[in-house]
Amino acid sequence: MSFSNKKSALKQGLIRCHQCGCIVQLSAIALEGKHLAPCPRCDGQLHTRLPNSFQRTAALLCSAFVLYIPANVFPIMIVTKFGVPEQHTIISGIISLINSGMIPIAILVFIASILVPLIKMLGLLILLWAVRYRWQRNMRLLALVYRMIAFVGRWSMLDIFMISILVSIVSSEALEQVLAGSAATAFAGVVVLTMLATNSFDPRLLWDRLGAQ
Amino acid sequence: MEQPDYNAAPLSLNKRRELPLVWILPIIAFLVSVWLVAKSIHEKGPVITIRFPTAEGLEVDKTKIRFLNVEIGKVTAITIDQDLKTILVTAQINHSAEDYLHEHTQFWVVRPQIGLGGVSGLGTLLSGAYIEIQPGDGDDQSNFTGLSNPPVLKHNQDGRYFVLETDDLGSLRPGTPIHFHGINVGEVLNYKLVAEGGLIQLSAFINAPYHRFVRKNTHFWKDGGIDVSAGAEGFKVRTAPLVSLLSGGIAFEASQEDNADSIMPDNTAFELFNSYEQTTQITYQNSLKYVMYFSGSVRGLAEGAPVQLRGITIGKVKKINVEVDEHSTAIRIPVLIELELDRIKGIHGDFHGDFKISDHELVTALVKKGLRAQLQTGSLLTGQLLVDLDFYPESKPREILTIGKYPEFPTTASSLDQFSTSAKVIMDKLSKLPLNELTAELNKTLQSLQTTSAAATTMLHSAKSTLTTADHTINKAGRTLTSADQTLSAAQQTLSTLKPGSDMQYQLHQMLLELTQAASSVRQMADILEQHPDSVIRGKQQP
Repeated sequence: MSFSNKKSALKQGLIRCHQCGCIVQLSAIALEGKHLAPCPRCDGQLHTRLPNSFQRTAALLCSAFVLYIPANVFPIMIVTKFGVPEQHTIISGIISLINSGMIPIAILVFIASILVPLIKMLGLLILLWAVRYRWQRNMRLLALVYRMIAFVGRWSMLDIFMISILVSIVSSEALEQVLAGSAATAFAGVVVLTMLATNSFDPRLLWDRLGAQ
Repeated sequence: MEQPDYNAAPLSLNKRRELPLVWILPIIAFLVSVWLVAKSIHEKGPVITIRFPTAEGLEVDKTKIRFLNVEIGKVTAITIDQDLKTILVTAQINHSAEDYLHEHTQFWVVRPQIGLGGVSGLGTLLSGAYIEIQPGDGDDQSNFTGLSNPPVLKHNQDGRYFVLETDDLGSLRPGTPIHFHGINVGEVLNYKLVAEGGLIQLSAFINAPYHRFVRKNTHFWKDGGIDVSAGAEGFKVRTAPLVSLLSGGIAFEASQEDNADSIMPDNTAFELFNSYEQTTQITYQNSLKYVMYFSGSVRGLAEGAPVQLRGITIGKVKKINVEVDEHSTAIRIPVLIELELDRIKGIHGDFHGDFKISDHELVTALVKKGLRAQLQTGSLLTGQLLVDLDFYPESKPREILTIGKYPEFPTTASSLDQFSTSAKVIMDKLSKLPLNELTAELNKTLQSLQTTSAAATTMLHSAKSTLTTADHTINKAGRTLTSADQTLSAAQQTLSTLKPGSDMQYQLHQMLLELTQAASSVRQMADILEQHPDSVIRGKQQP
């Protein structure tokens, strides 16, 4: 593993400005109290790594996990037919889709609403775990996991889009009406929080400890 | 290549040990989740089971439980009970409705219903059936038995419950309407057979404000159908409202006797009369029973026949028996009557207020004055008899004696009895007539009459032939007259051609004119010949 033995930029005394991408030699900048001096080119704040990346990601991930429970337990959609309200959770919606023979759509909803958020959160958890306990094996697999998470993030908003379209289209109150349930808010929260968590995770942390021993 | 050691300083810059503000986010998320869960747990009240005979129209997670059309829970499971006869519905009740679940709380399934009483539950045609709840009192409970039929009375209406007692349910059912002067004011809720049997107690509900008319002397009667009664007073037809005609009904009427003070409290028992007729007969609580012995037949006297005092009903016949005296083998017919002396009033208001004597003493006094009972024909059409009370001052003075259970009221022979007695006398006299001899005489007379009539017949025959010849003659004369008639008409036609203006007449006229001219020419010629006779030879001379 010749590549993994390469030293990181930081170890070579270089940092990259997050705003303008200017490579700065650490030795050339002074310390201003606890912080680094601003970037000589764009005057932006220089960081060796994203500030508090681990803490932020962990906090956002925790919030997402917490919200994931009500998102699945409570009704995401309240369909009123002929004055009789019927509440659907995500799971019961998928089951009723299967029952009515729309298996492809059911699979799609299952992937978008249950599988993707879960995979995202578990992936982030693994990444955080790897950073915290300084795993040094399967590093490329972990990098792949990170890329997957970053790519798949936006697609889990599918449910929220579907509900918002249904609410606005089906609105003849006497016969049929669709309302978003409390789980819809929680689910939207899960999606947004996981995306923020992915963004705040600095994948360079994975490699920092490599070869430190 | 110089390799400065940057490892220690910059990395330590990144290690801030204080807790970042971002950790507020999971706390908020946690609190929100906890709040949501707590709210839903709080809203979820107790789980109850309700036993129903059938699950028709009930669906898991769809069928709601409603109170006054407000949703208070839903069905979460439907299972068949172990006895395989009923179903158990498990339902989740909202926390807010927890207080409704008591021992006497009632559940029933609301389905669309169409009946004589009206249409209900139409909304459930689209939305499906739902379970209605009627909160009751009692201990807390979570296992209930649902009603198979919706209770007739829903929710807490104003009004009063009364008990009606009858011995025959007839077509009365829960939901049977109760009418007051034709207004639907209440319903029968349920009925039960009293433990001893023979008496059925109906629970009835009268809506406010009509419960105020249920007073001490109010009478309820079965109003179901057309009531044709033939009694001593003739035929009577009464009909109930149409709904009652079809499905039976109950009606009541307030009595004039009562005022607003005597409104009866809840669950007062009333007798339910079988017909309107009965309510008018029995009106008074205080009654005196007497027994009467009539000589002769009581055919046509029925139980319930009126007892009248000079035509006014003051009582009725309760019972008619036959007794045989063991010693004398005499047959007696005791007629038990009931007098309702409350019907007799003093001239100035209440009778008993003026006279400080009991009813029985009053009757005794009246009998002393000559009051007697007599059987009379009430209606010639139906042949019903009634007991008539009147004064017969010339009758033997008698007292009221109490021999058996009841005091005996003296009677006098009925006018019918008197009539039949005299008729019997006449028949006896008739039977003594020498009918055989009379018939023989009559026979002879008839025979002579027969011969006379035969002679008369032959005479009539000859008269008939004479008349026939006369007829012929008349016929001939008729023909002669006909030909004369034809001649006359021909003459008339001829004459009619000579009418003024006709052709014939004009031609005649012309002919006459020409004749006149011819005559004058002849005269002129004669004159000329006279003066100039020579002109015959020489011709006419020119002047």
